[in-house]
Amino acid sequence: MIQLSYLDYSAQEGKSWLHRRAPKAKVIGVVLVLLAVVTMRSLPILFFLYAFLVVLFFLSRVPVKIFPLAFYPLLFAVFFILISGFQLYFILLIFLKVLCGSTSVVLLLSTTPYPSIFRVLGKVLPSLFVTALFLTYRSIFILLEVFEETQQALYLRGGLQWRHPWRSLINISNAFGHLLIKGMDASEKMYESMILRGFENKIHYRGD
Amino acid sequence: MSHIHFPDGILPPWLWISGFVVAILVWAILLRFIKKEELSRRLPLLGMMAAVMVLGASVEIVPIAYHVNLTVISGILLGPSLIFLATFVVNVILALFGHGGITVIGLNTLTLSIEGILGYFFFRLFHKMVKRLSITTFSATFLALLFSTLSMIGVVSLGTSHYEDLIHQGEGHGLFEFKLFKEKDDHQEINQTRPREEGPEKADKTRPREANLKRFIAVVLPLGFIGWILEGIITALMVKYIHRLRPDLLGLEGKSA
Repeated sequence: MIQLSYLDYSAQEGKSWLHRRAPKAKVIGVVLVLLAVVTMRSLPILFFLYAFLVVLFFLSRVPVKIFPLAFYPLLFAVFFILISGFQLYFILLIFLKVLCGSTSVVLLLSTTPYPSIFRVLGKVLPSLFVTALFLTYRSIFILLEVFEETQQALYLRGGLQWRHPWRSLINISNAFGHLLIKGMDASEKMYESMILRGFENKIHYRGD
Repeated sequence: MSHIHFPDGILPPWLWISGFVVAILVWAILLRFIKKEELSRRLPLLGMMAAVMVLGASVEIVPIAYHVNLTVISGILLGPSLIFLATFVVNVILALFGHGGITVIGLNTLTLSIEGILGYFFFRLFHKMVKRLSITTFSATFLALLFSTLSMIGVVSLGTSHYEDLIHQGEGHGLFEFKLFKEKDDHQEINQTRPREEGPEKADKTRPREANLKRFIAVVLPLGFIGWILEGIITALMVKYIHRLRPDLLGLEGKSA
């Protein structure tokens, strides 16, 4: 998740042909990929779809350090090896479905500024839901900033030490608690500034 | 553990479509209980708590394949109505990054909300009975996680026959027929060679779907147990920390130990 700030940077500063495409077209593209992921059961087709997305990723000159972000869901897909009876076909099918979905979304987020994405979503989804989604996405960036400060404070208090598990647990919990309190302070400030700008359960994007 | 990590296309359509329908219905009902001003005032807090949940869920404790959900603490702070919308948003963001499928969002929202809503009510109930914040929070978190994990297992077991079709779909496809680990009762054929006349008990014993699901449960519950204790302790310490600095956020009456 730390790489999210790079995603935003790449989306804002990138100049490739994919960056210049209309956000609407890219959102539709991702929806089509996700539809294929939901409905396809053919391994070769999913493999070609993934290869196409990887080629697109490198053609759009997105920083390479963002690429591993698309692999992170594999950590959670490992459980399916247990269900599958260790069938390689099933395992590959799951891994490719996961990779196609995550790569397409990472590609969208790294080539399109997120207010543009939410503007497109706001036209088809309930405004309350899109506002909540927007605020959550924005809050992740705020929390990541606080997290960096908290990390330093955590290390200064001894950080994580396997020899002292209880101490480590207290440190982690205090760090999370600190993150929460700071986050809530930030959310209160955010709300006050939103009210000053005329917020009424709906965020208006530039160009609306 | 209660978060369903199934990618798309694994659960049968009737199951995930029902998940979406029920989730949207519950959301529509819960929205009626929140005042417009209250919703508007708490939306930024909802966004922040959802962000905390996303960050918590993205840190996996690798040895036990567990990630904290922080749904209980979010439920305690947001209340039962808003936690539902928060878990919906969290699941959408996680699903977009491949952490659980898009089609599983509805079911994940339901199982995670069970965690948040039960956590909220257990916390209030235990606090009235015990008054000790650490014990109250730990017990509320542990029980809420136990119930939501059981509901997750229930959901997973509903789609067993569908997984079997998928697993056996690869058989006879040459290159992909390779099997890393073969078990005596892993094939459907065994089911066919032992007809139903032998009685339901014997036929059940040979069903591969049950063997696989049992294996899944046998892994999930013990690992989950370690995770629930860990998350219970973390949540209890966090609540204690919040109580020290901002007791107003917990909305508790009277002093706690």
